[in-house]
Amino acid sequence: MDSQQRDRMLQAMMEELADRGYSEASVERARSVAGVSETDFAAEFADKDECLFAAYDQLTDQVVARASAECDRGEPWPERVRTGLESLLRGMAEQPGMAMALTRAFPGIRPSAYERYVELLSRFVPFMIEGREYSEVDEELPGEVELLAVGAAEAIIFGEVDAGRAERLPKMLPEILFSVLVPFMGPERAAEEMRTASMSI
Amino acid sequence: MLEGNGQGLLSERDRAVSAMARLCAERGYPETTIDDVLELARIDRDTFDRHFNSKEDCLLAAVNAIMTETVSVVGASYSGDRSEWDSGLIGIRAILQLMSANPSFAYVGYITSRQMAEAKVRDVRDSGVGLLCTMLDRLRSYSPDNRAPETAAAAAFGGAEALMRKEVAEGRTEQLERLLPDLIYGATVPFLGQEEALRLARRGRKLTEDPGEG
Amino acid sequence: MPKGWALPAETERGRAVLALVELWAENGYAGLSVTEIAARAGMSRERFEGLFDSVEAAAVTANEAPLAAVVEIVADLYSADRSEAESYAVAVVGILRLMTANPAYCYLTFIGGRQMAPSRVHEVFESGHQFLVAMLERLWAASPLSDQPARVGVAALGAAEAVVRREIVAGRYEALPALAPDLVYGSMVPFLGQAEAMRLAELSRRHLEEDLEA
Repeated sequence: MDSQQRDRMLQAMMEELADRGYSEASVERARSVAGVSETDFAAEFADKDECLFAAYDQLTDQVVARASAECDRGEPWPERVRTGLESLLRGMAEQPGMAMALTRAFPGIRPSAYERYVELLSRFVPFMIEGREYSEVDEELPGEVELLAVGAAEAIIFGEVDAGRAERLPKMLPEILFSVLVPFMGPERAAEEMRTASMSI
Repeated sequence: MLEGNGQGLLSERDRAVSAMARLCAERGYPETTIDDVLELARIDRDTFDRHFNSKEDCLLAAVNAIMTETVSVVGASYSGDRSEWDSGLIGIRAILQLMSANPSFAYVGYITSRQMAEAKVRDVRDSGVGLLCTMLDRLRSYSPDNRAPETAAAAAFGGAEALMRKEVAEGRTEQLERLLPDLIYGATVPFLGQEEALRLARRGRKLTEDPGEG
Repeated sequence: MPKGWALPAETERGRAVLALVELWAENGYAGLSVTEIAARAGMSRERFEGLFDSVEAAAVTANEAPLAAVVEIVADLYSADRSEAESYAVAVVGILRLMTANPAYCYLTFIGGRQMAPSRVHEVFESGHQFLVAMLERLWAASPLSDQPARVGVAALGAAEAVVRREIVAGRYEALPALAPDLVYGSMVPFLGQAEAMRLAELSRRHLEEDLEA
């Protein structure tokens, strides 16, 4: 299987999961959509699970890459967070099925699958470290502040995707931005950033 | 204070919730529209949509508001300085005062959410009631012989509720505090027996007449 | 120790629900079967079926327990000497300790009910979660902001939950209480500002240490 075929296989498997849920997701249907033979599949993946886990890894790589792609290094950190968030929300709104697979269908399979979801959130932590420079208090902020900020965004995003309202996410950028920035800079400054963001919606 | 009553400004979200409660009490939830809420709360549709996903969502916010407020006043009435039972009495009185001061929310809590809205709303309310029963049920460990059955708190609660529902439905919410002795009797008799419950009810009557106490 | 946490393990219902919750945390929801749950609980299939109509019905019951426990811990800590925010800060330590002592229920509360459950069960979870969000949003009363962004309560609670989930997925339940200061900070900073949230985080850290010494 060449890398393009592999990518197509993984994409198709993820779509199967998104459309039908774990127990009904069919390797045969996904293979057929991707144009991959039974032999080629067996050479690459031991079973449906191995393929699904690899598919999830590919999807999460894409999500992280998308969120960081458009961030201009030259811009101040809050701006970069806004751009990244905007990109992420747009991606979810454009592909609500994938968003559901990302946040519910795959993590819900079993605890070992759920671990990948937790790992995904941890991958956003390094993007948040610079936020500490914006603190308005002298004392050092608590150690988990970065994951707290990521968790804040996740909670709102998850809520909307779960309720079938992923298409609303881009409009919610300002309030999500508020909750992400607030642990770093306090409510007044975070509200300012939120107001700036709402002006360009 | 949930209803604002002109005392300090409510946020846009709280105005919407308060408006929903008032409309439920005056006109009934089924016949209340989002436009009615917007008009009474003096907010626009975009603002409403930012905070609520639907008319039901706004009602749920009102149910949660009265539930959390009730939990808070009951919790705050317990003090290490007085007996467990006296704290319970103060707690019941606090609930009545809360309802009297917020008659629309009382209506939402006792009537709308129970019989005038979808199952989901009733479930949310029931879970709030369950919480209060759990808090009330701690009194069981202070009863002699611990003889009250598991359902005693729920039953006592149900009895008290029926009494309050009647008063609220008939528009006598502002006078709920008069019920304090009856409610105390109903709430404590499964745990303490008649004599002790009557004694506490008398004590409760004294509390009503003597608002400074506690 | 509040009584309302898990159904008491001394009762059959309690044992059955605990068995379900443990298996859910070990293997996920889809793998649950009456046979396995009954075996884990040390009872016959028939006995389980006598107690619950279905696995789903038992799962709904399981989801009701954590909310009652959390609210009881919070309400227990309300006192005249403390603001509501301070009560929450101290309650976080108690809640995390309870989690450490009940890892299976902890998994249910943060993961199982949220992302590993069918719709009906998830709805019950969600409505309990909304109640906790409403309790937290009471802190808006002390906020410097004149208008409140939407969903801050969801985000603030979610912030703390993300940190807890990371630990429990790694099996580090005993590490949870030490995270109290971070969780207090993250859940309160949107309402109270950085300085006050830091002070409350410090309060919870002191409470954690005092308790250990006691």
